[in-house]
Amino acid sequence: MTPEAIKEVILEIIQDIDEDADLASLKGGLPLRDQLDLDSMDFLDIVMELRKRYKLQVPEEDYPQLASLDSTVAYLTPRLHDV
Amino acid sequence: MRAPIVIIGAGLAGLAAGIRLARGGRNPLIIEQHDKPGGLNSYYHRQGQLLETGLHAMTNFAPPEQRHAPLNRLFRQLKLSRKNFITHEQVLSEIRDQAGNTLCFSNDFNLLHQQILAAFPEAADGFTRLVEVIDNYDPFTPAPWCSTRRELRTFLPNEQLQNLLLWPIMLYGNACEDDMDFAQFVILFRAIFQEGLFRPAGTMKNFLDLLLNHYRALGGEIRFRTPATGLITNQGQVTGVKLANNETLACEAVISTAGLRVTRDLLATADHGADLATPGGNISFFETIFLLPGAFRQILAPDRTMLFYFHDTFQHRMPTTAVDMNSCVVCLSDHFQGIATGETCQVRVTHLANYDLWHQASPSEYIAMKGRYARESAARAETLIGAFHDQVLFQDSFTPLTIQRFSGKERGAVYGAPNKHKDGCTPFANLVLAGTDQGFLGIIGAMMSGVVMANQHFLAGADHAA
Repeated sequence: MTPEAIKEVILEIIQDIDEDADLASLKGGLPLRDQLDLDSMDFLDIVMELRKRYKLQVPEEDYPQLASLDSTVAYLTPRLHDV
Repeated sequence: MRAPIVIIGAGLAGLAAGIRLARGGRNPLIIEQHDKPGGLNSYYHRQGQLLETGLHAMTNFAPPEQRHAPLNRLFRQLKLSRKNFITHEQVLSEIRDQAGNTLCFSNDFNLLHQQILAAFPEAADGFTRLVEVIDNYDPFTPAPWCSTRRELRTFLPNEQLQNLLLWPIMLYGNACEDDMDFAQFVILFRAIFQEGLFRPAGTMKNFLDLLLNHYRALGGEIRFRTPATGLITNQGQVTGVKLANNETLACEAVISTAGLRVTRDLLATADHGADLATPGGNISFFETIFLLPGAFRQILAPDRTMLFYFHDTFQHRMPTTAVDMNSCVVCLSDHFQGIATGETCQVRVTHLANYDLWHQASPSEYIAMKGRYARESAARAETLIGAFHDQVLFQDSFTPLTIQRFSGKERGAVYGAPNKHKDGCTPFANLVLAGTDQGFLGIIGAMMSGVVMANQHFLAGADHAA
């Protein structure tokens, strides 16, 4: 998958978790949790969805790398290269 | 396909855990001994009427826009629509002692605050400090047991006020006698006083059907009339669940909502270590549902939802008589905002009860006791809400034995064992506790327990067995 396609997938997953999420004003470099008012349980749903869709395992020690949209895309790009 | 994660019990914790696991692409299988879901909060039919067990009200009310409130987090986690979930908030509830001290509370916490300022002005500063402590307390991280009585004494000078605040909290969720863990107090103070009481639209059956249909739509499996009779273990792992029909279910893991002691008994001959040995709970109830003509809705305390009453000697413990007539809670099930008047209305009266005395009674004594205590219970309630007993269309009582029989709660102890296992861990790596003995309380709390245990033990981090 391309970084653009991964970004689309992440936004889709977030929208699915919270239908009221304001994705238009999301800034890629800033923490997702602050901008979207997500809590740790919501955040877990992003990880859970990635596992379900792509069989991708994100170990807990890697969670900080999913802080912002940009860092998430950077983290996932090599891992979803062949998807 | 991998062996399922077996969830013992289709109560609210088990259903919520099942929904989470199914959502997470895992393979849950719920087994339930009874023929209906719900556990303590279920329903039955008598004389063409659907009657609810357990439910007086749900706690933790929050409007949909309060995103981080437990109710709304729960709905997001289960992927249920909060906006389509219609709620009826309480009108007003009252706590009253024999001496005539009263406190009213609603879903607006300011009301309780003002009531305390008016009736106990000397406690004003102390109460404000207590609320600050509660607001900043983390009750979910495992910590040593801490006495609520001792904590309250440091904030509130007046024992009457301590008791008035404690009574609904203890009644709606304290497994300990006389005192309670401060963490549990904080959870329930928030759930009852700061968030508040409501009913879902419709009946408990509608709510359970919603959960069950959602679970099945996500691919979850459930088997009713399927009691577990044992757990098979091998080298620190649970490998199978034995059923009453001698079948053995191979399992990847087990989430048990059956309570600590019942779970320990399922392990039977296996080496389960001292960690699972725990004294059982003693807090059980006698409750009678009185069905009345609908007109009584306007007659019996029409502006009250719950009335919590206690005698001058405040006691939250197993009584020495079969039913404790010195205290009660009266629930006027139709007195929630926006509930239309029907042909009938209900009064439910609930008292602490003694399991042993009900257990020892002969069948004929048992029936006689039920009738006698239901009459005494009605008389007690009539002193609080007005006369109704000669107009009762139908009544039904349940005892600690009824609770044990239908919910599987040992000794009818609705709030489980006094010692909670907040991390859900057992000596077996793949055997997890959820529900009452994990430590979250009430309907919303039990569901949150199922969600949190599923998340922490099966959905967070990498799944190495996948």
